[in-house]
Amino acid sequence: MDRRNFLRVSAAASALTLAPLNAAFADWKPRRPINVILPYKAGGGTDSFGRAITAVSDKVLSVPLVIVNKPGSSGITGATEAAGARPDGNTIMLTSAGSFLLTSMLRETKVNPFDSFRIVAQIGNLSSSLMVPADSPYQSIDDLVADAKANPGKLRWGHTGRGGVHHVSGQGFLNANGLKAQDVPFKGGSAIRAAVIGAQVDFGFTGVQQAAGFENELRVLGLNAGSRDKVMSDVPTFTEQGHAFVDISSPIVLFAPKTMDDEIAVGMEAAIKEIAALPEFAEIMAKRGNSPAFLSGAEAEARLKAMQEQAAPIIDQLKSES
Amino acid sequence: MEIFAGLAAVLTDPILIFYVLLAAVVGMVVGAIPGLTASAAIAMLLPITFYMEPLAALAFLYVIGKSGRYGGSIAAILFNTPGTAASAATQLDGYPLSRRGLSSKAMKVATISSVIGDFTGEVLLIVGVGLIAAIALKLGPPELFAVYFAAFVVIGSVIGKSILKGLASAALGVLIQMIGLDPISSEERFTFGNFDLTNGISLVPLMIGIFVLGEVFAQLEVRGKKTEIVDEPGTADSRARNRLTWAEYKPCLPHVVRSSFIGAFIGMLPGLGSAIAAFVAYGEGKRRAKNPEEWGKGALEGVAAPEAANNAVSGPSMAPLLTLGIPGSTIGAILVGVFLIHGIQIGPTLFLTSKELVYSLFAAGLLGIVFYGLIGYYGASFVGRFILKIPTDVLYPVIFLTAFVAAYSSRGNLFDVYVMVAAGFGGWVMRKLDFNPAAFVISFVLAGGAEEAFRQSLLLSDDGALIFITRPVALGFILLGIGAVFFRARSLNR
Repeated sequence: MDRRNFLRVSAAASALTLAPLNAAFADWKPRRPINVILPYKAGGGTDSFGRAITAVSDKVLSVPLVIVNKPGSSGITGATEAAGARPDGNTIMLTSAGSFLLTSMLRETKVNPFDSFRIVAQIGNLSSSLMVPADSPYQSIDDLVADAKANPGKLRWGHTGRGGVHHVSGQGFLNANGLKAQDVPFKGGSAIRAAVIGAQVDFGFTGVQQAAGFENELRVLGLNAGSRDKVMSDVPTFTEQGHAFVDISSPIVLFAPKTMDDEIAVGMEAAIKEIAALPEFAEIMAKRGNSPAFLSGAEAEARLKAMQEQAAPIIDQLKSES
Repeated sequence: MEIFAGLAAVLTDPILIFYVLLAAVVGMVVGAIPGLTASAAIAMLLPITFYMEPLAALAFLYVIGKSGRYGGSIAAILFNTPGTAASAATQLDGYPLSRRGLSSKAMKVATISSVIGDFTGEVLLIVGVGLIAAIALKLGPPELFAVYFAAFVVIGSVIGKSILKGLASAALGVLIQMIGLDPISSEERFTFGNFDLTNGISLVPLMIGIFVLGEVFAQLEVRGKKTEIVDEPGTADSRARNRLTWAEYKPCLPHVVRSSFIGAFIGMLPGLGSAIAAFVAYGEGKRRAKNPEEWGKGALEGVAAPEAANNAVSGPSMAPLLTLGIPGSTIGAILVGVFLIHGIQIGPTLFLTSKELVYSLFAAGLLGIVFYGLIGYYGASFVGRFILKIPTDVLYPVIFLTAFVAAYSSRGNLFDVYVMVAAGFGGWVMRKLDFNPAAFVISFVLAGGAEEAFRQSLLLSDDGALIFITRPVALGFILLGIGAVFFRARSLNR
């Protein structure tokens, strides 16, 4: 799609077909392909969001989005590079903001989501969930909570790495219910899923999308979120079952270097909003077991700030334990 | 039998056959280029496959993995620089054979052994995919650690002349592996406040440095002295010498069969991979060989054993990957992404939803083995002759440059290039002082997974280290490891 079409779409979107174009949007005219730094390996969960957005972005943007995978150090390698990039809108970063935030809280990193970046928009969200093996005696969260209360410190639970989204979310669940259990870190979603299926652990916390296709091997007891997942819609939330939860999840967020011009940022946000609303985007995301979840830059930032507040006591607890 | 339907589907699709052939060639070439590993090549080619048909994309990458593991042996044999980590064991005997003017023969042995190993693995996968997955699921951290423990014994087999220096090299490998984030607590270790070190030292640049740059430095030293090529390659005499007879290959066969099963077993286990399979097969082969004193000095069996094992990993590693979503190797981990991108849900339901695709993929794997086997058998000796004609002042600078490109391109990170250069000097110094680079690299490879599994086991256990004794499979492997150490100590004393 050429630029004229792109402008027309943008104009239609702002419902000002006859009025002058939305000024902010029109001021951002990318001329070169936009590099999207993705601080994880190609083929992972965050990467699939990146690939989906690049596949449909030509319907809105006149230049292509190019995914540049820069894995390393739990995403901090790529984030450091993105933070230092020229703030001209040609280099941005797409990352799992939850794990970026928590890593920057737990470790001494040179960059963090608020001081080093301008938050452009959120395009998706991955929620944490509580799973048990298919032959586990726990049929509900109540069963698990009761057993954990009766045997403090005896149960073993797995997650995808200390200080990660699923660890903090699981620890938050334990704290909220006054439970004690021994955590066992595994490397990544597939490893923890295998550990749950093989009953190496009593329960596990990992992304809810990991359960898709494994319905006969494991049971998802609950989703750690305020509302149900759009794809895994038969999994009840913690609140529905009357259990407190700590809202720690992994929003997929676009970040730009902190000093980027307002005009570019506003234009970019508007363009991303349109891309995220494309039916083709939803279609590709659905194929991968995810769904789009757009939030504006300000909303995404507020959400991250709230998450930071919720996570702070848990992070302090983890720091003092280690 | 679904596999015949799969074969029929593959063989009637010329475009797919073309991709498989292309993959066989690409894999062999990148595998043969020192330092450019098959998994690095797959990672680089991955974005291209997003635009291909799912089956073509998967078959393309799967076959590159197979032929890349084989292709690594070419560089290992010719230049003492393994093309991939998986072929680091091959160079122990492959290079000495080359120096005796037997490079083509060594490559033929490597080709046949790779094909047999790969074929065995693939057949085991096709007939036993469900069973393999069920076994893999039963193996938790304690069992994995026990397997690592048994595998550590192989370091003994590559230790060489000085036991003390060999052990020191292995200990250094463990130490270097510890750099980075602690696998359990995520605390920084040995990073000295350096940000790049928090990610640890990657295997690819380390290996390129130790083996490839180290070898280039070693060649630089002997410059001026004419490299002793036994005689002009291509002469009738050399051709006759490199002809492989059945009588020569026959003693290799028992090693190939055993190594194929070792490789297939290791392939089932998540996280171990081809390099470990090759070293374990080499160690076990040397232990059982009738001529252990010849191993390391140019025994054909010493080429056959690791080559069969590293290719046998390929098939069985697909079983836990397809049915449980657990990748058994680096290449497997990348393939998970391909399934994800193409919207194919891996897991127990895969065989219900995409049976045709899976068996066509297995069939494409079989076809790929045939392709790289034929090209390798008839082409490798030609490549060998051609490369030996290139003057070393041209060849080694080219290898030197490729090493830099390969180190950078695996993650697009300049720090990896520094690691490679440092490892290059380290490898050169180690060789000068008679320390053991192979023991260093294999312990580096083993230590990470072993530590993680060990500490996970302790967290899972109610009574500490007893977990390794109370779980029968774990106990079995621990005893196997102890037995092998005991056996080796006794044979050393004799």
